[in-house]
Amino acid sequence: MSNSFIIRSAERGHDMIRSDGSRSSYIAGHPDGFVTRASSFNFHEYQGGRPGFGPVRVFGDEIFHGAGCGYNMHPHHNFVICAFVFAGELTHINTAGGGMVDRLQAGDYYVFSAGSGGKHSELSVTPEDMHAIYLWLLPEQLYLPPTYHRGHFDFRRKRNEIVQLVGDADGALPIPQDIRVSRLMADKGRSFPYRLRTTSHGVYVFVREGSIRCGGAELGHRDSVGLWAIDSMDIEVLEDDSDVIIVETIMIDDENIQKWELEHAGHRVSAHDRTMGPETQRQGC
Amino acid sequence: MMEIKMIDEPFKRLLCLGCGFSYDEALGLPEHGLAPGTRWADIPEDWVCPDCGTPKHMFEMVMVGYVAGGTDLARTA
Repeated sequence: MSNSFIIRSAERGHDMIRSDGSRSSYIAGHPDGFVTRASSFNFHEYQGGRPGFGPVRVFGDEIFHGAGCGYNMHPHHNFVICAFVFAGELTHINTAGGGMVDRLQAGDYYVFSAGSGGKHSELSVTPEDMHAIYLWLLPEQLYLPPTYHRGHFDFRRKRNEIVQLVGDADGALPIPQDIRVSRLMADKGRSFPYRLRTTSHGVYVFVREGSIRCGGAELGHRDSVGLWAIDSMDIEVLEDDSDVIIVETIMIDDENIQKWELEHAGHRVSAHDRTMGPETQRQGC
Repeated sequence: MMEIKMIDEPFKRLLCLGCGFSYDEALGLPEHGLAPGTRWADIPEDWVCPDCGTPKHMFEMVMVGYVAGGTDLARTA
């Protein structure tokens, strides 16, 4: 039984979404703005990869190119959406609560739980391109009251330690799911142990910059590893200024992900196992 | 055999992977012409998310419960 996977940078979904033509109502910045997106899991047009990790359905890094580029006002329900900004400025207009406009810069991040419904628009209005990582996950309950929280990661002071940004640690932003998102900015030669909450949790480790050794593999720029059914793991930093995102979450029993693993991970499955599965047919595929 | 099985099958909940809109077989979507009890399999394959236009095959069945009062919100979302 496998308890890990590696996704190399080149294996992720790579999309370039233009603000003109058929997507102009969705992508802002017509005519020359465009969004580039690299997705670890299936998302929109990219349907060639792993469906998710525990409750996580989207993990992607995006760049909004050109002043005025981004996403026009659009609705959400239920999903919890987190954005972590690394460069440029993200102007976030959100109807949650009484409605608000937030401006996020390098180190800033938000957690938007769409719950019973909300709309938002995300724009880069300054001349610099905006770089962010987006994380979407299923909530622990449907139709919760919408919430929005924002925080800041002080990357100049929080060096060489794993800092929890989202989850149940002191100062972390709350989130309606059994998940913890941490960030590590560290230098070559350091090693960081990470103990998982239980063996029912898994951890997804993404290298934004630099390189590390983790889960028995060497991971470079935008490579990632998923590990589960383990007590703990180590992140060994191989390069100065490495920047690593760590997502620890409950590995919910998920039909789609298990089905994908059976089809793609080289497992041999008997006909008996298939018919005994919790749900053997996925509707609409 | 399949027909008999369908009657006993619990109602499913599905989530749009484009925006999080939900379809609950038990509740249907009366405002969008789908009566309560309409099975996902009986919705046309060219049906799309009423909120964001994501195609039917990009909905995922979920096993997530409602918050108290959530079914009323889901029915009219």
